[in-house]
Amino acid sequence: MAVWDYLVTLLPQLLLVLFALVMPALDYMFKDKRVLSWVALAPLVSLAAALIAWLFFGLWEPNASLISLLEVNLFSGLFTLVFVFVGIVVVLGSPEFIKADRNQGEYYSLILLAITGMTIVAEAADLIALFVGLEIAGISSFALSGFRKSEKRSAEAATKYFIVGGFSSALTLFAISIYYGVAGTTQILAVQPVLAGSIPGTGEVDAGPILSLATVLLMAGFGFKVAMVPFHMWAPDVYEGAPTPISGLLAAASKKMGFAAFFKVFLIGLIITKTDWQMAMAVLAIITMTVGNLIAISQTNVKRMLAYSSVAQAGYLLLVLPVATQYAVAGGLFHVLTHAFMKSGAFMVVAAMGAAAIGEKLEDFKGLSRRSPFLALAMTLFLLSLAGIPPLAGFASKFVLFSSAVYESFEPGESWLIWLAIAGVLNSALSLYYYARVIKLMYMDKGTSEERVKVPPMLAASVVFAAVMVVLIGLAPGPFVDACLEAARGFSELPLGWR
Amino acid sequence: MFEGVPIISIVILMPLIGALVTFGLGKYERHAKYVALGFSLAALVLSGLMTLDFAIDPDPTSVGYHDGGGFFDYQFYEAHTWVSQLGISYIVGLDGISLPLFLLTTLLSTLSIVFSWDTKLRPKEYFGLMLVLEVGVLGVFSTLDYFVFYVFWEIVLIPMYFMIGVWGGPRKDYAAIKFFIYTHIASLALLISIMAMYFEAGVASFAMEDIWRAGQTEFTRFFQIAVFAAAFFGFGVKLPMVPFHTWLPDAHVEAPTAGSVLLAGLLLKMGGYGIIRVAMPTLPDGADALQIVMVVIALASILYGAMLCLAQKDLKKMVAYSSISHMGFVLLGFATFTQIGIVAGVFQMFAHGLVTAVLFMMCGVVQHHCGTRIIPDLGGLAKKMPTAAAMITIGFLASLGLPGLVSFAAEFMVFVSMYETWGLWLLLPMLSVAITAGYYLWALQRSMFGPLTDKIDTSHIHDIDWFEGVPVAILIALIAIFGVLPMIVFQYIDPAVGIVTGLFGLPGGG
Repeated sequence: MAVWDYLVTLLPQLLLVLFALVMPALDYMFKDKRVLSWVALAPLVSLAAALIAWLFFGLWEPNASLISLLEVNLFSGLFTLVFVFVGIVVVLGSPEFIKADRNQGEYYSLILLAITGMTIVAEAADLIALFVGLEIAGISSFALSGFRKSEKRSAEAATKYFIVGGFSSALTLFAISIYYGVAGTTQILAVQPVLAGSIPGTGEVDAGPILSLATVLLMAGFGFKVAMVPFHMWAPDVYEGAPTPISGLLAAASKKMGFAAFFKVFLIGLIITKTDWQMAMAVLAIITMTVGNLIAISQTNVKRMLAYSSVAQAGYLLLVLPVATQYAVAGGLFHVLTHAFMKSGAFMVVAAMGAAAIGEKLEDFKGLSRRSPFLALAMTLFLLSLAGIPPLAGFASKFVLFSSAVYESFEPGESWLIWLAIAGVLNSALSLYYYARVIKLMYMDKGTSEERVKVPPMLAASVVFAAVMVVLIGLAPGPFVDACLEAARGFSELPLGWR
Repeated sequence: MFEGVPIISIVILMPLIGALVTFGLGKYERHAKYVALGFSLAALVLSGLMTLDFAIDPDPTSVGYHDGGGFFDYQFYEAHTWVSQLGISYIVGLDGISLPLFLLTTLLSTLSIVFSWDTKLRPKEYFGLMLVLEVGVLGVFSTLDYFVFYVFWEIVLIPMYFMIGVWGGPRKDYAAIKFFIYTHIASLALLISIMAMYFEAGVASFAMEDIWRAGQTEFTRFFQIAVFAAAFFGFGVKLPMVPFHTWLPDAHVEAPTAGSVLLAGLLLKMGGYGIIRVAMPTLPDGADALQIVMVVIALASILYGAMLCLAQKDLKKMVAYSSISHMGFVLLGFATFTQIGIVAGVFQMFAHGLVTAVLFMMCGVVQHHCGTRIIPDLGGLAKKMPTAAAMITIGFLASLGLPGLVSFAAEFMVFVSMYETWGLWLLLPMLSVAITAGYYLWALQRSMFGPLTDKIDTSHIHDIDWFEGVPVAILIALIAIFGVLPMIVFQYIDPAVGIVTGLFGLPGGG
């Protein structure tokens, strides 16, 4: 019986791993490689259906976990849903993009493994599990960014990503070891009672400087993953060099994994030392959004522009940490969800341009509205949503996110948090400049060619899926806000430091 | 007439459906104008019927009447929950302040579509975007929930951005992006102040009425001043007020004629409407503290705008700057905090909507027929296009405040309220009347009268076309009617404003 319960808890991971292992074999069985993507979709779609049934309709509920390493709750469920959704978008968008490449089985297999790693991070209740998840996802993504190994840019991206990623893993691992030294366990929650001196017999533990070191190392380690300034340098190069659907996966899912880790470790484990890192996080958040937006303005390659834009979006999301209320976490989760759709959707449009051999430069988007009204409209929706224009999804989530900072600033002593909201809002205005410029190029300028762009059906399906979600969440944010608030409630039920 | 019918939603839906149909026309693109005209006309007829049905002295028990306890007394009221988790509802209703602007919106949208009858470039997008714009503006004037208000407020930007950027003049790229970002930043200031009011009120509702009610006890004076400053900035940029007016001349000059008409006729009114609907009643202490700022900005806009007009060589640019000056009167009227001043401000918005539409349409006619709008290159056009010259003359006279035309009543009332409040400081805005007469008459003399110009080829200039003449003629008729009988509009505005000032507890109430 007990074994069966373990299996149920691990079912999503088992399902993904099973399909990941089968994929390379299928590669040899089918001539038509599109079959591979259909097979890879199977576990993702079934997981998405199960998660939606749980999170939005309450049709079933997972059992409480028996494994101390992983904890399945609404928070992890929501993150898993985001990863699975991005997986669907990416897998749908891939077959046409990689149709001329070899080893397609491995490609899908690696995508599924990366998503497995991300789900482990979302469910981790223990730092070791968290680290294992980060590594599974990381190593799969290194390989994926170098998928076109004969292509110089792709190889360069993979190398860069690997070195930076390895470095950040080392920092994270070092921080975990310190954490273990302080808490005597690797459970994320365990450091709280130790520091509060609430464990009988241990008394007061003066772990000030040591734990601060761990905090800084964790900031750096996770900061690499989410492309927080000053650890963002790798992102544009990697996003530019990696195959475009993989850039989408990295920007929309892999980065969210970093946030899952951030939220878990900082808002559960280290919340008791919040006053130590709160100001630093706030400053980093503001710097991250500002630098991302400013550099994005001067980009000429759309993939690089989107990369810097996702640096900026990371800045908005980092605002959750200094604010640290249930409402802020809900806003963060909501923005994670909407950003996954708008960013992966935008990358899929770029992938469609790539598949039609048009290019990824800004000037290649000139006159796109004439060549493919569908792509131009979808891109417009994604970009306006990224800029936070109502009534699209990005507006709704930014609204909740920024208003959480405004809300908290009414508390005595926290009034400075209003500047986070103001910085976020000003940055949104700044970002509108480079988003609107792409729209201008697509609709108002004449391109060099008038030839129609053929969008392969599966890529089109992936773009449509993302676009529909962006509009749907924007028009009916209710259930999504509800799910995010519920998921964030788990945080506020924890003992310490929460309002 | 409309008991139990969600008439406001139907009116808003008309252009929305029209826009979707227009965008979906595909190869039947050349019929776009008929579709657009049909739907906007339907909205116009319905809103006209609503105006007739609107009870000036309403029966509080009638269907669709919302008794808001003295201030939020609305007719055609509808309320539906949208996002219950955040307290967001779709609430619409009209009172005497919003009704004239609501009607103005459907009227100017319809006339602009007629005026653009010969648009050849991408007609389905052009007319579709105009209808989307109409949806946004109608929503702003009828919504009673801050969140939805903000959504509509922002929706307006996108079609206008495209209209300037695709169908605009030579510097359209610059003008479009400047317009978009400038006004978007202002909107974000508004957004922050909405969030602040929402949380400070603590009623978990975005409904304007709930926040207003809670605010009477919850909002401290300091809070009101800070939030009023942010909201006033947000609305004032749209108005526009000096020194945040610089987006306007660029946007106007580059926008296509119908775009300028809608921009000046409707979008600027959103700023004024926001001040009187949102900022002043909800944050009266803030308004009280910043009254002097409002007055100084209003006077600066009136005088500086008028002087800028004197220096313009481009006819359309002159009209654009004159909007700054005339919208300054709206702000000045509001800033007096008197019944007559606020009524005059609202009426000035309505009047300016009609007059400025005529002026921009006539600028479009001149551009279209002569190929240029540069005043020194024109001259003696009355010989070639007598009807157009007559219309432009009437438009100019209406705009400079000739008694018997609509602007006179509004400006005169602003002066009265100004004198009541600040006595002889009245001389400052009075000065602008002389400047205004100066630049209009001077421009008229140089462009329409005198010897026929030899700087442009005048051989094939013909008189105004039917699709240009009809909208202008309708507007001129309305300008004359409301100029002689302004009480037709006052009877709607006056009771609603009476409630506002009564609530303020400020002098001149009731």
